[in-house]
Amino acid sequence: MEEKRHINIQYDKELREVKDSLIYVGALTEKAIEQGMNALLNRDTELARQVIANDILIDRLDIEIEEKCIRLLALRQPAAKDLRFITTAIKINGHLERIGDMAANIAEKAIILNQEPLLKPYIDLPRMAEVAQGMIKESLDAFVNEDVALAHKVRKDDQIIDNLNEQIFRELLTFMMEDPHTIHRSLIISQISKLLERVSDHAEGIADMVIYMVTGQSVRHKPASAENG
Amino acid sequence: MKLRLFHKFFFAFLTVGIAVVAMAGFLIERELRTDLTTRIDDEIAAEARIIALMPAGEIARHAEELAERARARLTLIDATGRVTVDSERDNREMDNHLDRPEIQEALLKGVGKAVRYSLTLKKDMIYVAVPLQEGSRTTGYIRLSRPLTEIALATYGMGKTVFAIMLAIVVVSLTIALLFSLKMLSPIHKMAVFAGQVRTGNISGTLRIDSRDEIGQLAECINEMVAVLQEKIRTADAEKRKLESVFSNMREGVMVLDAENRIESVNRGIEEMTGRQHRDVIGKTLLEAFRNSKLHDALERFRVREETIYDEIGLGDNRPVMMDVTFSAFRGETDAERKTILVFHDVTRLKKLERIRTDFVANVTHEIRTPLTAIIGFVETLQRGAVDDRGKTQEFLRTIHENAQRLNRLVDDLLILTGIELSETNFHPERLTIEGALDQALAVIADRVSERKLKLFKEIRQDLPPIRADKDSLIQVLLNILDNAVKFTPEGGTITVTASPGAEQDLIVRIADTGVGIPKGEIPRLGERFYRTDKTRSRELGGTGLGLSIVKHLMKAHQGRMVIESSLGRGTTVSLHFPIFQESI
Repeated sequence: MEEKRHINIQYDKELREVKDSLIYVGALTEKAIEQGMNALLNRDTELARQVIANDILIDRLDIEIEEKCIRLLALRQPAAKDLRFITTAIKINGHLERIGDMAANIAEKAIILNQEPLLKPYIDLPRMAEVAQGMIKESLDAFVNEDVALAHKVRKDDQIIDNLNEQIFRELLTFMMEDPHTIHRSLIISQISKLLERVSDHAEGIADMVIYMVTGQSVRHKPASAENG
Repeated sequence: MKLRLFHKFFFAFLTVGIAVVAMAGFLIERELRTDLTTRIDDEIAAEARIIALMPAGEIARHAEELAERARARLTLIDATGRVTVDSERDNREMDNHLDRPEIQEALLKGVGKAVRYSLTLKKDMIYVAVPLQEGSRTTGYIRLSRPLTEIALATYGMGKTVFAIMLAIVVVSLTIALLFSLKMLSPIHKMAVFAGQVRTGNISGTLRIDSRDEIGQLAECINEMVAVLQEKIRTADAEKRKLESVFSNMREGVMVLDAENRIESVNRGIEEMTGRQHRDVIGKTLLEAFRNSKLHDALERFRVREETIYDEIGLGDNRPVMMDVTFSAFRGETDAERKTILVFHDVTRLKKLERIRTDFVANVTHEIRTPLTAIIGFVETLQRGAVDDRGKTQEFLRTIHENAQRLNRLVDDLLILTGIELSETNFHPERLTIEGALDQALAVIADRVSERKLKLFKEIRQDLPPIRADKDSLIQVLLNILDNAVKFTPEGGTITVTASPGAEQDLIVRIADTGVGIPKGEIPRLGERFYRTDKTRSRELGGTGLGLSIVKHLMKAHQGRMVIESSLGRGTTVSLHFPIFQESI
């Protein structure tokens, strides 16, 4: 969008606005996941409540962006790259909104866990959160800079998350078998792990859409290893 | 450039020369033509008069001979205009000549002249007619005519000369133009080249032209102008460099946004604070570059309110940075020159200090209240009659004593800490061997080591250099670290003490345990007063929460430092770096 200026300045401005709004929501969701995980790891219930409250803003922006995109489609009848950008924006918007919801879900689980004693020091969960946050960050960076190489990297990182998710599940299983008192907490931690896994899936979805937006090729539902190996 | 001026000279000379010659040629030609015509006129007029003296019959008879003698065409016309004889034509084919201008003129004035194109002979002819008279009666006309070829020949000759002169003028003006342009142009060309250099920014050197005329003055002016320019540029450059160095060297981050709110420039402060490189942010919007919703919100607020605003914003990828951001506007002459200036002030440290201070007050209160509550509680119980129960009294008194001691320890630690901070402790650095101090410290904790069935290894090289330290402080430092190692290592664990020379003129004492370890995120906070990784457990173990804080401060007073490495569940290694004793100090 930057390289080719449209004759219609207003149209340009509207496209810009969509991009800016998306980055804004991206910033909010990125922060929400970070804060949600901090609420869990630092047992900070207050922060968790804040994350849940902030999700309302993300939801509102989700609707706003979608309306903007539909208006653009209807009024400007974009073609070629602009069309790809707007369709991509709609999809990325959806992914971001879901990530925001998951941040709120993680915060809810954190509140429950904070009321009970610590099951064990978290080791794999923070690592998983770190990777997932990195994926969100990089997928958004890829979107901002239209960086296809970075988008491909995000797709590959998904594997790390899947492995960690399995590892956490196995570990929790041993806890539950050893001591039935830990079942409740273990299940919640397992859910959080699953949530993070889905967050990473959405980050991957954003990366897919970035690749589509820039190159016009759809890489969805294809394994990340297949295309570079 | 050069050619153009040459062309101008050349064409000017050429035009003037040719114009003069053409004008002269034209005038001369006209004069010549008139002159010749008159002469021919007069000549044939005279001849005509002579012929007219002859009787008409004679003329007719000798017409051809007469014509030849007069080098002219002879026409005899009778009074009615009929041609009776013509030297070159059959008279019967010729029409009535009475209406010819020369005849008419001859009739009126006695002689008639005309120059015109002869339809009969098809050439320009000069005609002269005189009347034939018998007495006073005109009986006819004699007309002589000669073609104008003579005149043409004469003018042609002159035309050739004129052409030759013109050619000469072309050559001369070419030469003059060349000489002129060379003479004039060489300095002008020099000036042009020099001015070109100045335009491209090379403003060194002066223009050298040895001429005292206007061109010399012009060169002088240019030299002065360049000198002034040089001075101005130098001042502006110096000013710019000064501002740039201020801009890039200030600790505060400065960012300039253009009229479209894209980042136009950032200084090094911004790069250091945010960890983002110059090239990664230039040309992007704040959102694209930092993806920070609060920063974007602040900018929006600034744009709406149009006044300087301040905000505290968390930034930074690797480490969280708390920023105090000031937005201000720079209004140019046009809207396109409008800029927004953001000044970032890193308040992370301030915020941290603020938190530590509030934490400290809260902690001190808490730490003091816990034992005090116990003491007051037990004393009240004793007052209410428990004092009569001897067994209980003993037990209560012991608890009261324990808590009083804990309070005492706390106050002691606080005093040490405050003392170090105010540099009021008797701090006497001297030449010490680390082994002596270590042995003393190990002796103090020896009982507790065996009590908890810990294995203690000491690996100290014999050739270690002496260090510069205050003896009491050194033992205090070692004791605090060893005390922590003993406390947080489960029964049967190992504590290893090593000492070895470091890389930077220092000596490193490492105390490694196989204890519970410390979460990575908490290591930087360990030196804070009352900071405990595991709050309940530490207090159970009788810690005041000040041990590491004291170590940290004492190490600082020794110009050494403490480095903590740890992995959860595996153990912690504390490295103490002491400066080596040097005689000169």
